[in-house]
Amino acid sequence: MAKLMSLLWGAGSPPCWRVMITLEEKKLQGYKRKLLSFEKGEHKSQEVLEVNPRGQLPAFKHGDIILNESCATCLYLENQFKSQGIKLIPDSAEDQAVMYQRMMEGLALTDKLNSVIYYDCSVPEEERHDSAVKRNKEALTAELKLWEGYLENVSAGSYLAGAFSLADVIVFPSIACAFRFGLSVGRYPKLAKYYSLLKNRASIKTTWPPHWVASPQGYDILKDL
Amino acid sequence: MATDITLLWASGSHACWRVMIALEEKNLQGYNQKQLYFEKGEHKSKEVLEINPRGQLPAFKCGDLPLNESCAACFHLECKYKSQGTKLIPDCEDEKALILQRVFEVNALTEKSSIVLYYNWIVPEGERHDSAVKRNKEALTAELKLWEGYLQKASSGFIVGKNFSLADVIVYPAVAYLFQNGLSEQRYPKLAEYYKGLMNRPSIKASWPPTWKNAPKQETLKDI
Repeated sequence: MAKLMSLLWGAGSPPCWRVMITLEEKKLQGYKRKLLSFEKGEHKSQEVLEVNPRGQLPAFKHGDIILNESCATCLYLENQFKSQGIKLIPDSAEDQAVMYQRMMEGLALTDKLNSVIYYDCSVPEEERHDSAVKRNKEALTAELKLWEGYLENVSAGSYLAGAFSLADVIVFPSIACAFRFGLSVGRYPKLAKYYSLLKNRASIKTTWPPHWVASPQGYDILKDL
Repeated sequence: MATDITLLWASGSHACWRVMIALEEKNLQGYNQKQLYFEKGEHKSKEVLEINPRGQLPAFKCGDLPLNESCAACFHLECKYKSQGTKLIPDCEDEKALILQRVFEVNALTEKSSIVLYYNWIVPEGERHDSAVKRNKEALTAELKLWEGYLQKASSGFIVGKNFSLADVIVYPAVAYLFQNGLSEQRYPKLAEYYKGLMNRPSIKASWPPTWKNAPKQETLKDI
């Protein structure tokens, strides 16, 4: 089954990481994969454009089925392979609803992180403003406070929607990114606890961004948030 | 049960509209609802914040469960009320995958439309640039070409497959929004055909934004 799957991915990209975690959780190791470099512009190569006309990663195929939106890919894999690996969508309607809610909110978190971390990459020099940087940081701070609240009762086995679920698959990579870029453990203790509880989960450890392993020292863009 | 459901909404918000279409399709008319007005700042009222701490609409509750992200609400409604109303997620695997793909791709369309339509609201005066306005318009044009392409491959008047699905619930409001704001039907014939083709579907007609009914169309997107 996994042999019919292929993934084009980039290191450190939360959307790519989400798909890789799901593939591990569903015991679909053995899929074809190719690491591409954003810095070299490989996400705009012919090879990617043939799968994803948007020139974005991840670009995922299962036989003839193409899925380039990471949430779509993760939902698809869980629905297709429900009976193998870990159950990623809870049974109870209440936990399911919380899971969907947090998954979608996770996209807002990722956007706000990107607007701070990648400001200089996405905004041409002559259009950059300190006022925008300040506003983006304030929006990110408000967002992180919300997540700190969602994780008020975090403990082993009790994550964003109860047991480990697609909500965590979608959101954890962005939280890991936040700490990689200097988020203060002291100011966000619940997020820090969530991060430390899950970072050694097998599917997460196996798919940890390789360049983060190679150079554990991150950045400090977020240290004052 | 429709009476367990509460929706605070605003006219013309595509996110609110999606939830209203889903409720109609699942035969859940009779839900508690209240129309609010962004212009009066009602989305930041206590009533909204109690359901949605983000101060955004829709603010939606199913029983005690807040589900303020419109896609989450729609997924939940389809799962919970699978056996009533329209089946919004088909059994066919290929179609299911494409529906999921389109549902999540719509974010790109709505973001790119919003930054063009609401540039002056989103970006403070001191930060506005003609170069950014130009770039945003080009990005929207490229995005619209993608969707025009998707509809060229679609054959039955729906965005995926031969039946109305969750993908249409999520996509249609975003497309209708474009034409309400002056998108050219000549330049985007497939999008226009999709827009007109579903306009009279009961769930869409019943939930059509009331503020659009007598208002003239805007022209902001006519040159895109």
